Amino acid sequence: MVEFLVHVAIMACLYGLLSLSLNLQVGFAGLVNFGQVILFGCGTYGAAIAFSHQLGPVAGIALGIVFAVIVAAAFARLGRNLGADYWGIATLAVAEVLRILANNEAWLAGGAQGVGGIPLLFGDMPRPMGPLMTLGLCVALLLAAWWLCQRLTTSRYGLALKLMREEPQLAASLGYDLAALKTQTLMVAAVLAAASGFVFAHYITFVGPDQLVSSETFLIWAMVIIGGSGNHLGAIVGAILMQFLFAFVPFVKDALGLPSEHVAAMRLTLVGGGLLAFLIWRTQGLIPEHVGGKQNG
Amino acid sequence: MADAVLTAERVAKAFGAHKVLSDVRFRIGTDEIVGLLGPNGSGKSTLLNIVSGFSHSDAGEILFLGNSIAGMPSHKIARQGLVRTFQLPSMPHRMTVREVLCAGSRDGAGLLDAFSGKGGDDAEADELIEQFALAPVAHLPASSLSGGQKKLLSIAVALRTQPKLLCLDEPTAGVHPQLRGRMVELLKAFSKRGVAMLVVEHDMHFIRELCGRCIVLDRGEIIADCAPRELTKNERVVEAYLGKSVARQKVSA
Repeated sequence: MVEFLVHVAIMACLYGLLSLSLNLQVGFAGLVNFGQVILFGCGTYGAAIAFSHQLGPVAGIALGIVFAVIVAAAFARLGRNLGADYWGIATLAVAEVLRILANNEAWLAGGAQGVGGIPLLFGDMPRPMGPLMTLGLCVALLLAAWWLCQRLTTSRYGLALKLMREEPQLAASLGYDLAALKTQTLMVAAVLAAASGFVFAHYITFVGPDQLVSSETFLIWAMVIIGGSGNHLGAIVGAILMQFLFAFVPFVKDALGLPSEHVAAMRLTLVGGGLLAFLIWRTQGLIPEHVGGKQNG
Repeated sequence: MADAVLTAERVAKAFGAHKVLSDVRFRIGTDEIVGLLGPNGSGKSTLLNIVSGFSHSDAGEILFLGNSIAGMPSHKIARQGLVRTFQLPSMPHRMTVREVLCAGSRDGAGLLDAFSGKGGDDAEADELIEQFALAPVAHLPASSLSGGQKKLLSIAVALRTQPKLLCLDEPTAGVHPQLRGRMVELLKAFSKRGVAMLVVEHDMHFIRELCGRCIVLDRGEIIADCAPRELTKNERVVEAYLGKSVARQKVSA
């Protein structure tokens, strides 16, 4: 049971990183990114490509970050000529194109077969120390990401992001370069997502295109919306809550005597139902954005 | 007249076959407050949009402090010191009045500044809050202000950027008459500190109190460039506002 809880906690931390990354984009900068999963994929494929070429984990994380920054720059470039909603659709399309590319190009990282046998980060440690060390790394990463996001959004830079989010015309009239602000935010968020993907690849030990389906993006969106868009703590709480609810779905299934194939449907219902419920009854999420923080100067 | 802060030369703009501005030429000195008048549809807002980079002219040249700004994006023009307000100021829901004013200064608003501790207290924002009588609402979401207060906030945040030329689009629309007097005093005080102004306005009383000179547009052409008191003696101006027959009667009287 402890190992199961450690596993759920590791996954919650990794999704927490993704949720923080998306929250920085949509919650603070107003960037409606529907291609979030591909930024995560940059990290997983960085690890997979480095492993395939016997380059080691340092090269893996470096590759993942480089891929993520390139995709973020491409997303930002797309955004210069598109409205926010059209840009969101374009990011979804780009993410799907890249997933299909990864699925069909065997030379890239095994194509549809993916890459297996990626070493655990703490594989030489006996159980349960290995998973516990991984959990420690994930918690440290999540705290570092939270600190980074908090620092960015409680500064004047954060005020610029919020002004861009709500009144882009006013922000431009005051001299803010909206294209630069969007590019910077996307790149920071991309690095956070890639870090999550890299650790995920070395934890699950397998990387494949099926991990990059768009439903993953909408799961991360659900975490942000349910937790509280525009609040870092809310984004983390949303991720942890959703992950633990997902983990306990099989137990609920057993208690109700339902067949196993109902597990996936119940999880999907949780995401869709949760999203709908919060969008209708509590749009600000569990922990709403705080208007007028302690540092506004 | 002092050196020119803004010079427009032969500016023209058309939307399809409809000419909105034709051969518009004017200059604004560094110590001036100039009113920009004209009936609805005369091209005032289009001219303001072109000057501030929110639209681009089809022809002509615009010089700001001697440098060409024609075709330049709005944020770059604002960074040079030409800042504008909008006719219908829209304010953020999830930012307080004080936060909006603090965001008016880009000093310390860079990505790396977030880690250097720059941009802490903002005494200038607090001073503007006091001057524009926004202290009682400083902690409220900016979108919750009344129309008049939003106008005041939009002027205050534009002044927070320390502009060299401030372009105001109908600053008194929706503002309480008592506040208009206060606004005239404040704008004159900032003018004395070296902020030139171009004011689009319909309120003639406000224009007479504030501006030393007026430019009048009609159907995209400048029909008058004179002191506010001379406007009623100008047949073309009266005609533009009241029609030909009334203009003849008024001017001859």
